[in-house]
Amino acid sequence: MPEPITAPAIELDGVSKAFGANKVLDDVSLTVRHGSIMVMLGPSGTGKSVLLRCLVGLLRPDAGRVLVYGEDVAALDESRPRDRARLFALRRRFGMLFQDGALFDDMDVGDNVAFPMRMHTDLSEAQIRAKVADKLRRVGLSGVERKAPSELSGGMRKRVAFARAIALEPDIVLCDEPSSGLDPVMSATLDELILELHRTLGMTFIVISHDTAEAKKIADTIGLLASGKLVTYGPAADVFAEGQPALRQFFERSTEGPIRVL
Amino acid sequence: MSQRRGPLEATLAFLDFFAAVLRCLVTGPHFWLETLRTMDILMRRCLIPVGLAVAPVGAVIALQGVGVFRMFGVEGLLSSMLATAIFRQYSPALASVMVAAQAGSSIAARIGTMKVRGQIDALAVMSVDPLRYVVVPGFIACLIIAPLLNVLTTALGLVSGWFFAVVLARVDHGAFVDNLYSQVTVTDLWIGLAKCTLFGGAIGLIAGFAGLRTVGGAAGVGRAANSTVVTTIIMILVIDYFISLLLLWLGV
Repeated sequence: MPEPITAPAIELDGVSKAFGANKVLDDVSLTVRHGSIMVMLGPSGTGKSVLLRCLVGLLRPDAGRVLVYGEDVAALDESRPRDRARLFALRRRFGMLFQDGALFDDMDVGDNVAFPMRMHTDLSEAQIRAKVADKLRRVGLSGVERKAPSELSGGMRKRVAFARAIALEPDIVLCDEPSSGLDPVMSATLDELILELHRTLGMTFIVISHDTAEAKKIADTIGLLASGKLVTYGPAADVFAEGQPALRQFFERSTEGPIRVL
Repeated sequence: MSQRRGPLEATLAFLDFFAAVLRCLVTGPHFWLETLRTMDILMRRCLIPVGLAVAPVGAVIALQGVGVFRMFGVEGLLSSMLATAIFRQYSPALASVMVAAQAGSSIAARIGTMKVRGQIDALAVMSVDPLRYVVVPGFIACLIIAPLLNVLTTALGLVSGWFFAVVLARVDHGAFVDNLYSQVTVTDLWIGLAKCTLFGGAIGLIAGFAGLRTVGGAAGVGRAANSTVVTTIIMILVIDYFISLLLLWLGV
């Protein structure tokens, strides 16, 4: 039996990021417990995706620390060869579901899902095929291995991307707007999938969303990001009970409240 | 996510990129299978266009030359001029230009598409260095296919020149073949191959650089492919001129 992990999966400490004069993240600090599901809500364009990209080092924050199991990703500079190697090693702990899947067009579905395994494991082709079939079964898409990504619907592509993200059974799965662009039934299916994978594989999920129903359904921990500030953050039950005005506005789909768009 | 993109910034970024690619070449891991696959795709894309572009050139040289040479009664020497022009100039330059047009645009468009669709980021998040996985294979492939195509275009240029001169313009076949190698040496072939390798490498690099810097959706992909072709063709023709000048000066 491996020792249970007690250290937090992710710790952000005073993370800020600006693009020109536009402050996208403003002094964000939070902790994500290992094995939990954290949902970060927020209106579009408030730096939720930027937050995810900072976690995996695709972007470097201007200030603050981004600790992944205790190691500071923000301190690694991709242009320095040694840091780059370290960063690529750290990313092995992550699986990421991109907003529109980001499947490779020139590979079929099976090769897409097999890609991380071919790159990072010594598994035989037969073992890889078996694992691909297993992952595709988990996302409810058995037998589509030979199809091209362009032959699939948006929802199917997203589920294939999900299968690819969990192919190496990473510690942390990042989901960038898993429900955007999907019909309600497909969104619900994807939510079930996250819960199912969380239950069976024990992964930590960090889900970026603007779908309040999704947050209610799957979250252990909820955060609300508005205009770069972490407005509220905590256990889902507490956050809902607290009735934070911005969060209430978000849940009530109201234009009246602290979040101003126009 | 605006970025200032002046020519100075672009030059510095390119040098940085070049250094990073060289570092990837020296240290592992290498994706040889991906490199072979890229070579195969690019070779298929280039073969016929390159052939079609170079074949008429041999015929045109013969067409232009045969009248003048006949005037001086030395039409047997036509093949010498043909060989010199094709070995040293036309074949390497045209092969490289066509590689730029076909392979360069295809690499830039492929990487650019991957960039705007988030696949480059996806590679990076999956701990696969995009430089190693998509840029280096394209670079190596161009480095190899450009001289390979040059061998082919050289042969094709000579054959088409021979066809025009001997079959159509009735130059004596024996004289044509005898004089073919009177002015060219093995050095000329090597120079042609070296030039193509240099140009091929530059095409692969510039295409990869333009591809990775693509922003702005489908229009951006078009811009990346277009700028790659224009930049590399101008570069090839200008550098080719200076190399010829240098070689003449050195007496090679």
